[in-house]
Amino acid sequence: MSGAREKKRAKKMRNQPASVTMPAEPGSVLAGGPRPCPPPGDVRSEQQYQQQKFAHQSSGPPYRKDQYFPREQNRGERGRGRGGWQGGHQSASEEIPRYITVSTFAQARAAEMKAMLKAVTQKSSNSLVFQTLPRHMRRRAMSHNIKRLPRRLQEIARKEAEKAVHQKKEQSKTKCRKARRRHVNLVAEFNRRQRKNIWLETHIWHAKRFHMVKKWGYCLGDSPTEKCYRACYRAMTNHCLLQDLSYYCCLELTGKENELLKQLARICSVDTGLTFGVARCLSGRFQGSLNLYRADRYPKDTLGPVTFIWKPRDGSENRQLWIWMHPALKQDILNELKEIFQCSEPEKVCIPEPLTTSVQEEEQMDVVVSLGKKRKKEDKEGEKTVPVKKIIGDGTRDPLQSYSWISQTTGVVISDRTMEILRYRLIGPLSHCVLTETLKAASLQTEMADSESELNKWWVENCKDSEKVSLHQRQTAIFELLEGISSPSEMPPGTILGLTVGDPRVNLPKKKRKAMPDPEKYQDNDKVRQLYLEGVPVECAHSFIWDQDICKNVTENKISEQDLNQMRAQLLVPGSQLDLGPCESKIPILLVQQPGKMAGEDRPGWGSGWDIYLPKGWGMAFWIPFIYRGVRVGGLQEAAKHSEYQRTPHTPNDFPDCPAGMQFAKELEATLLEKFKRRPPAKRANYVKLGTLSPFICPWGQLTKNWERRMNDSEEFLCPSSPHSEHCATEGNGFCDPEPEVVKEASSETGEVEETMEITSSEGAIKREDDPGSQNFGERDEAMTRDFVVLRSKKLLMQVAAWCYPTSGKDRRIRLISRLGQKEMTEDVFLPILMRYPRALVWVNLSLLRKGNPELHAMICIPTEDDLLHLSKDKLFCGPQEPKHRDIFKHKVQKLKEEKKKKKKKKTTKEEEEEEEKKDNVEALESDPPSILDKETTEEHEDLILGLWPDTLPDMTSHCSRSLLGYVTRGDFSLAAGCGEALGFVSLTGLLYMLHGQPADKKGLVLLRTPASLQYRFARLSIEV
Amino acid sequence: MVRFKNRYVLCEVVAEEPRGRHCIEDRAVGTAVRDAIARAYGDYGLACCSVSFTVKYLNAYTGTVLLRCRKDFHRLLCSALPLVRQLESRGLRCPCFLSTLHVGGTIRSCQKFLIQHNRRQLLTLLQNCTNEEERQRIRQSVLSCSLTEGQSQSGDEEEEDDTETD
Repeated sequence: MSGAREKKRAKKMRNQPASVTMPAEPGSVLAGGPRPCPPPGDVRSEQQYQQQKFAHQSSGPPYRKDQYFPREQNRGERGRGRGGWQGGHQSASEEIPRYITVSTFAQARAAEMKAMLKAVTQKSSNSLVFQTLPRHMRRRAMSHNIKRLPRRLQEIARKEAEKAVHQKKEQSKTKCRKARRRHVNLVAEFNRRQRKNIWLETHIWHAKRFHMVKKWGYCLGDSPTEKCYRACYRAMTNHCLLQDLSYYCCLELTGKENELLKQLARICSVDTGLTFGVARCLSGRFQGSLNLYRADRYPKDTLGPVTFIWKPRDGSENRQLWIWMHPALKQDILNELKEIFQCSEPEKVCIPEPLTTSVQEEEQMDVVVSLGKKRKKEDKEGEKTVPVKKIIGDGTRDPLQSYSWISQTTGVVISDRTMEILRYRLIGPLSHCVLTETLKAASLQTEMADSESELNKWWVENCKDSEKVSLHQRQTAIFELLEGISSPSEMPPGTILGLTVGDPRVNLPKKKRKAMPDPEKYQDNDKVRQLYLEGVPVECAHSFIWDQDICKNVTENKISEQDLNQMRAQLLVPGSQLDLGPCESKIPILLVQQPGKMAGEDRPGWGSGWDIYLPKGWGMAFWIPFIYRGVRVGGLQEAAKHSEYQRTPHTPNDFPDCPAGMQFAKELEATLLEKFKRRPPAKRANYVKLGTLSPFICPWGQLTKNWERRMNDSEEFLCPSSPHSEHCATEGNGFCDPEPEVVKEASSETGEVEETMEITSSEGAIKREDDPGSQNFGERDEAMTRDFVVLRSKKLLMQVAAWCYPTSGKDRRIRLISRLGQKEMTEDVFLPILMRYPRALVWVNLSLLRKGNPELHAMICIPTEDDLLHLSKDKLFCGPQEPKHRDIFKHKVQKLKEEKKKKKKKKTTKEEEEEEEKKDNVEALESDPPSILDKETTEEHEDLILGLWPDTLPDMTSHCSRSLLGYVTRGDFSLAAGCGEALGFVSLTGLLYMLHGQPADKKGLVLLRTPASLQYRFARLSIEV
Repeated sequence: MVRFKNRYVLCEVVAEEPRGRHCIEDRAVGTAVRDAIARAYGDYGLACCSVSFTVKYLNAYTGTVLLRCRKDFHRLLCSALPLVRQLESRGLRCPCFLSTLHVGGTIRSCQKFLIQHNRRQLLTLLQNCTNEEERQRIRQSVLSCSLTEGQSQSGDEEEEDDTETD
């Protein structure tokens, strides 16, 4: 604000003359002293007197010489603007004859006059010319018609007017709106804009209704512009929320089953749950989801979560596998897959896709070029020009580059099918109603509508095969059965149903209304029950969407919206159902059930729904019919909320151990820091005083390291003063023979390495501001990755989850433990765990007991015994307070600030001096080195910001009065639970330490503190597996 | 428009010695004038004049000083100006006096007057000069003090640059 004001003032004062004083000189030099004035020749006049004065002056000692410098230079160094007083510095040589004095005198006057003239003639205010006129000279419409101004002002006014016009012109486009909105030009413009970031097919629809963000190379809708936070939640719980997930990336692996499974087993682990080879998924009946790791690196080096679908066996030797992942993870996973399958050569023969797209692209290029020509010319050629084709699929792809890779040894083909298959997600208990209302199974067709066109050729051929017809009929029957279920969560998780449907645009309802289940259809018959229990049979999971040729055919032979509307207009009875007959396209789709919330006790099946996979090009044709069934549409924010209420980690936010997650955290830190710095320092939260070490990023590496060190330092916390501590330790050693020592050594080594790293990084932090994401940063990240792992082993998680349960009156925990077949929490059980995972994080969820709204990066802390005691006594006890910390950096920051100020001042004076002493190079050299030193000293502390800890943090666990367990990565008031809920990671070591010390009925109670507050709040920690 | 009205007093510092020009500084002039007011009118007068009293412009080479004070009390200031006998700065003390050239309502009017005044001075100088070289010099400087078309344009360009960077 003040900056703007200063700027304004500077602009105003630009033409005003500055005061001119004699340059500062030591008085001793002046002592050259007055000489007797030469006897005045003429009559005494003011000027004469002055002349003499000047004569005197200039005949003084030679110091004036130094002042001499060329005028241009003076101007340049003084900075622009500020119509300063530039003359007068001219001086004369030592023995000055009289006439020089006259010239100095005259020059002084002249320069002053010039400055004054500039000040007087050039207007300095922000007002327009006609506004400065006195009132009686104002005329109507002066601002429009320059000629109404007095002639002397017309010139200035013209300039002003030109400037305004010029500014406007910059904004406006080259063409008129009508031309811009012409379809050809519009499509060309859209295609141009798609080259940088990929647009989804629903982009235009979204762009009109959503805040768009550019992320991961896509343009995505972030959240709707309308107010719908709660409405979207209601849609998720009561009706249906639609989301365009087409930006998810699909990698297709083709090859022999054995070969695929053999290599894929290396990048996932049985410990974490599924693998690619699980029978139910391998058959193609169910979709599976798992976490990928770098080959043979489990549990380190996570790559990220994926879902996968096997194509059902169809007799041939080769199997097809789709791996779907978030775009942020794609590059890592693709590289890893290429490596393990040794697919290095790009393959061109197998997939003709690149060729066709290249043709398409060339056509587009041609048209784009032709657009540049004059319109008349275009009209002449108008008939011949090919209409611009809309980019379907990935607009950023290089047509000449191949997107599939083959391995020479095994024949496995990996192809990148991103944006080839669209994916919509319907979330909510009524999503199956929306589906069944929108989609109608394709009718059988035995003859071609038109012998020439390719339309539906595949379908006709297919219909000739009675086996396939019966399959289609069975699929249709199952699809119709879906109307009978009450919620998608009743289906077995990950059920896949293949289907071929007709054009959904045909049976578009006249009015938008909510799809509701039909109570008549809802029948609890055997068939539905069988569907619940057994799921969809294997053969019904088959879909033609797996076949690329068919997909291509379907994409290319889509009836355009325009044709469809024309046909509608030609209907005899306006508004009646359009019957396309044999011309109706048949579209192969894949329906995949999303299981929703599976872990935990409350809200089972919440957020379940269906994913629908479509061939590309059909996006809007399916989107609008869905919208007409009253679904609500969500963006990225809603997706995040969905996973938050499901308590599942969200990609990539909640995968701190995979590269994409780290990248995300870094970006988040940068934006938060930026936001923090935008506030005036007095209005910022002082995080040092609040005892928050890192409010913008979770330093997982250091957290786990500190906990490990703490455990090593006080071995006794594991076996507090127990007589058989040694025995325990030996037992631990015996349990996992060589490991502990190795681990310890390794850890200590890495600890040292890290320390050195930290030192270097603190030095390197100087550079950080300049180029984030440089090599420097990357190194640091790598160090961080090696630091910690996220515990994903199902067995261990179950164990820890069981320990977290508090015992209620009815001895619930013991029952639960016995149910889960878990061991009681004793040293000899968890010691080996700690040995094996010295630096692990655990995904936990927290729900607040009373007040409080957890935020991003809130700290999870261990309550002391007093806190628990207080809690049990006082019903209204909200939580303890953190005592205020002292800001130990404050004086440093202030000192730095002062130094900077001083330096600035010095610099300016120095500059002036340098100006004056241009010739004295020696002195300039002398003055230089200290300035360099100054710079160095200040730059060392460059990253010191008031209220934030500098890069090197102290021991994190014991910094505050309650020891730190972990951080919240997502937290908010949960509409689903009705209280504040948070998700985050805690250190496994710390968690076990806490659980060990807590009384049985208070297990899993933790304290939460948001970064900008001193108040702790009680929360219950639980782990859902 | 409702505003505080000021008076700007344009005066000239006439130093008795040439080195006195080194004393011509914002602060020195200000304190000297204040001293003079205090001597003439006491605390009351000083307080009256001190409201918004500043040295707006000062040129040590020509000895021009532009003072500002509130309109209501400018007579106090004007009457106190002749009482300034010396300027003091950096331990130097130089005897001098202030001669009032003009009293105006705006800076702009004072600037205009100053231009006129300087022009008159240069002209008289030109008339009084004794040899050819002097005459030449003065002519040159007179020529140099006019704003040319190109300069004003360059100023405009600067302005445009400004708006663009904004």
